[in-house]
Amino acid sequence: MDVLILFVMVVGLMLIGVPIAVSLGFSSILFLLWFSDTSLASIAQTLMQAFVGHYTLLAIPFFILASSFMSTGGVAKRIIRFSIACVGHLRGGLAIAGVFACMIFAALSGSSPATVVAIGSIVIAAMTQAGYTKDFAAGVICNAGTLGILIPPSIVMVVYATATDVSVGRMFLGGVIPGLMAGTMLMLAIWIMARVRNMPAGDWLGWGEIWASFRDAFWGLMLIVIIMVGIYGIPGITGAIFTPTEAAAVASIYAFIAAVFIYRDMGPLSSQGEGKNSTLLHRPQALLTAFWHEDTRRTLFEAGKLTVTLMFVIANALILKHVLTDEQIPQKVAEAMLSAGFGKVMFLIVVNVILLIGGQFMEPSGLLVIVAPLVFPIAIELGVDPIHLGIIMVVNMEIGMITPPVGLNLFVTSGVAGMSMMRVVKAALPFLGVLFVFLIMVTYIPILSTWLPTLMMGPEIITR
Amino acid sequence: ADTAGCDDGETVIKFAHVTNTDKHPKGIAAEMLKERVNEEMEGKACMEVYPNSTLYNDDQVLEAMLQGDVQLAAPSLSKFETFTKQFRLFDLPFMFKNIEAVDAFQQSDAGQAMLDSMQKRGLQGLAYWHNGMKQMSANKPLIMPEDAQGLKFRVQPSDVLVAQMEAIGGSPQKMAFSEVYGALQQGVVDGQENTWSNIYGQKFFEVQDGTTETNHGVIDYLVVASVDWLDSLDEDVRDQFTTILNEVSQERNAAVNEVDMEARQAILDAGAEIRELDADQRQAWVDAMKPVWEQFTADVGQENIDAAQAINAGL
Amino acid sequence: MHPAPGHRLVDRVEEALIAFILGAMALITFANVVARYVFNSNILWALETTVFLFGWMVLLGASYCVKKSAHLGVDVVVEMVSLSARRLLALVAVAVCIAYSFLLLKGAWDYWANFANLPQTLGRWFPLGFEENFRPKAWYEVNDIPNPAMLNFLETLMNDGDPYEKLPRFIPYAVLPLSMALLLYRFVQAAILIWKGRLDRLVASHEVEDELAEVRAQRGEEV
Ligand code: NA
Ligand code: NA
Repeated sequence: MDVLILFVMVVGLMLIGVPIAVSLGFSSILFLLWFSDTSLASIAQTLMQAFVGHYTLLAIPFFILASSFMSTGGVAKRIIRFSIACVGHLRGGLAIAGVFACMIFAALSGSSPATVVAIGSIVIAAMTQAGYTKDFAAGVICNAGTLGILIPPSIVMVVYATATDVSVGRMFLGGVIPGLMAGTMLMLAIWIMARVRNMPAGDWLGWGEIWASFRDAFWGLMLIVIIMVGIYGIPGITGAIFTPTEAAAVASIYAFIAAVFIYRDMGPLSSQGEGKNSTLLHRPQALLTAFWHEDTRRTLFEAGKLTVTLMFVIANALILKHVLTDEQIPQKVAEAMLSAGFGKVMFLIVVNVILLIGGQFMEPSGLLVIVAPLVFPIAIELGVDPIHLGIIMVVNMEIGMITPPVGLNLFVTSGVAGMSMMRVVKAALPFLGVLFVFLIMVTYIPILSTWLPTLMMGPEIITR
Repeated sequence: ADTAGCDDGETVIKFAHVTNTDKHPKGIAAEMLKERVNEEMEGKACMEVYPNSTLYNDDQVLEAMLQGDVQLAAPSLSKFETFTKQFRLFDLPFMFKNIEAVDAFQQSDAGQAMLDSMQKRGLQGLAYWHNGMKQMSANKPLIMPEDAQGLKFRVQPSDVLVAQMEAIGGSPQKMAFSEVYGALQQGVVDGQENTWSNIYGQKFFEVQDGTTETNHGVIDYLVVASVDWLDSLDEDVRDQFTTILNEVSQERNAAVNEVDMEARQAILDAGAEIRELDADQRQAWVDAMKPVWEQFTADVGQENIDAAQAINAGL
Repeated sequence: MHPAPGHRLVDRVEEALIAFILGAMALITFANVVARYVFNSNILWALETTVFLFGWMVLLGASYCVKKSAHLGVDVVVEMVSLSARRLLALVAVAVCIAYSFLLLKGAWDYWANFANLPQTLGRWFPLGFEENFRPKAWYEVNDIPNPAMLNFLETLMNDGDPYEKLPRFIPYAVLPLSMALLLYRFVQAAILIWKGRLDRLVASHEVEDELAEVRAQRGEEV
């Protein structure tokens, strides 16, 4: 009962415009002061430990930084050109290329809204010009953008791994096949719609264009290779080189080098628009000045600010988690569910419902921090694989992002496309159906999530 | 209102630890303690266990204890470095011949005195809990100390353990515990050191070439409470509680060797390699690692080293 | 209605600090990878330094984001109601935020004080004076970061002359009371702006508002 008051308070505060982080933190503090003997100082300790005690969360700022360097530079543009060269000639080709580009960018970026902004800001305009309706274009990108958190790297997966102590690397592998599948299903749905509605097809630009656009996008695509090879190695050739957290840091350094010294879209060698970029030979001092160049500082700051807003939510969600643990709520929830005789199937339905409802109000990472510890012990008890549970959660978060009232991708798409929220909601609806089918598949076919991690890293060990 | 199942008027004892409740020696002991306290001290005290680092990790829990937010904890001995450097004794390689020597030292005057050594910093040691002797594993056979040359070892970030790995030419690395399995498997690090039950529990043996039975160190835990909390208890409550704790500690410590050997056997049954050292090989490891002692003698006290060595000699 | 991006000195200092900390975090972590993989060595203090920097960036950045109304939130309801109701909601919301940061400031002080040999406050909800007897904890060191020689003077000042092998915890933890005080200050400022009708909400509805503003600007829309 007490807990119900807590959750009602969190949602109520959020709805009147209190920042999510403060809603979580303030409700937790009141709950703690009223119902327990624990001190206010313990809240401050938890706040500090959100950073100091969770090494894996470090991946978040680094993946955000890598993605910022990649979007500030023109990498998104190059990826789109490559996507169009590959699939643009199919019926509905530009839309399919949009999904394809979202999948590729998702493999560079850990966030869904970032994916929508990077790809959507270019593709939606291009699609409208090519004769698609704006609603269709917005609906496609709004949905495909959710792949940002399913295809690794993924901020939401890092948060899940941190909250439940499973390996980040394993979680990332778990997302690969579902991510490719969801993307393929979306592309297939578009292709069918395009045939039915007789949508435009682009010209086949030839293998030359595929090769040329690939070469142009190469340095951006290399980031995917660096992350994957760095974390997992190449079987038979090299072992892994770094942990997922380090991979994120290396990715951000690489993205900086690619944007400033290779593509020269930004930084001291960039001509800022007109004219030819200069080279290191002409301006060797750029090797140093690049570090404090205005563009570098700006990108660092933007990524830092984004990290601050996300992590402040996560840190306060960790406070709520701490208070729930202190009051032994997870055990009680587990007891209640198990004594109600829940089996695996029923349990997974309940998890889906909780997350779908929660996802209507909450920012995904914060929601995961709270829900994962509540359901994880039950999942283990019922023999649900932790990675499978994690992927289910991520797919739920994806759906939450494209359903009102709180849907990060809806907001962002409405901004990118210059459409009203309600119009975007309607536009996204047909593809939402695809994601729902996908959610059911992911929920009841565990092998989709567990096959690749088991193949690469052996069977999951459960030490709890 | 207390939502956690304790009655009003009972002294609440929150015990936070970092392992599971049914497979790890510490978790098993904690559950046993909880059951006995809740049964025998009904109406006087009530114990709640928070396992799996759900409430606090080893680093936070001591801060929270001094703050008064948790009453009981059992971090590994190396976590007490900041409170007193004496506990570095237990990290020093080849200080104890086997777990019996560790036990004898802990029960000796020197070991018991160490329980009181943190009082001025607000902590009181109550009991030692065994985990076991440390073994060493890597992605290649470790027979002689030279085999460890150039290998990257994941260690607890204690100065002694860093020095120990450097003494055999290894490169000590720090990383989150949840990433160790993946890091060993993928080759981010080459090896690690741990007790049989940890190596089995974390399945490290699956991703290593083999484990060498070095018994070169010990992982044990210290059950602690804050001085202020202990002082606040009624004398009969305190006495009954410490009596129960001592009985549980004795019972579990006596059984821990068995748990350790079961884990060792389970590793063998799983088809993994365990390499035993002959006397010369073992001596080579001792010769390579023992110089580390000198560096820390002032911290741990020559008299404690002497006491430990006297016990080794007597076994 | 968001306040225009400021270019005051304080803004620039805060922005530079956020950028610098994030850059330092990435470089230190990268250096550790290079040390391990290229030189088969290690930087044992790298991880702990990075997580402390992480905490500093987010905690200090939180007050900056209050100033810029950048904290994530839900403005669906706020958008639906009349202007006067909106102002009322904003006032209630900012009152909650002030209460939150006040309680956290007390908690942060109580947590940090003993680490710096200072007294905690008394009282469960509100500070009712300072405790008289307490156990100073300035001897409490971090795990990995060595104490730099230039801080050796702290040994006599804080630690009865005992040497610090590692950095004492009160230094990294100092960010807690500092950042919570700043947070309280920024929320009070926001409250004044809302009262005067110059600000109508505390939150941003998603994380990429700046990027969106750029896209809109490129489309020639008014931002
Ligand atoms: Na991604
Ligand atoms: Na939603």
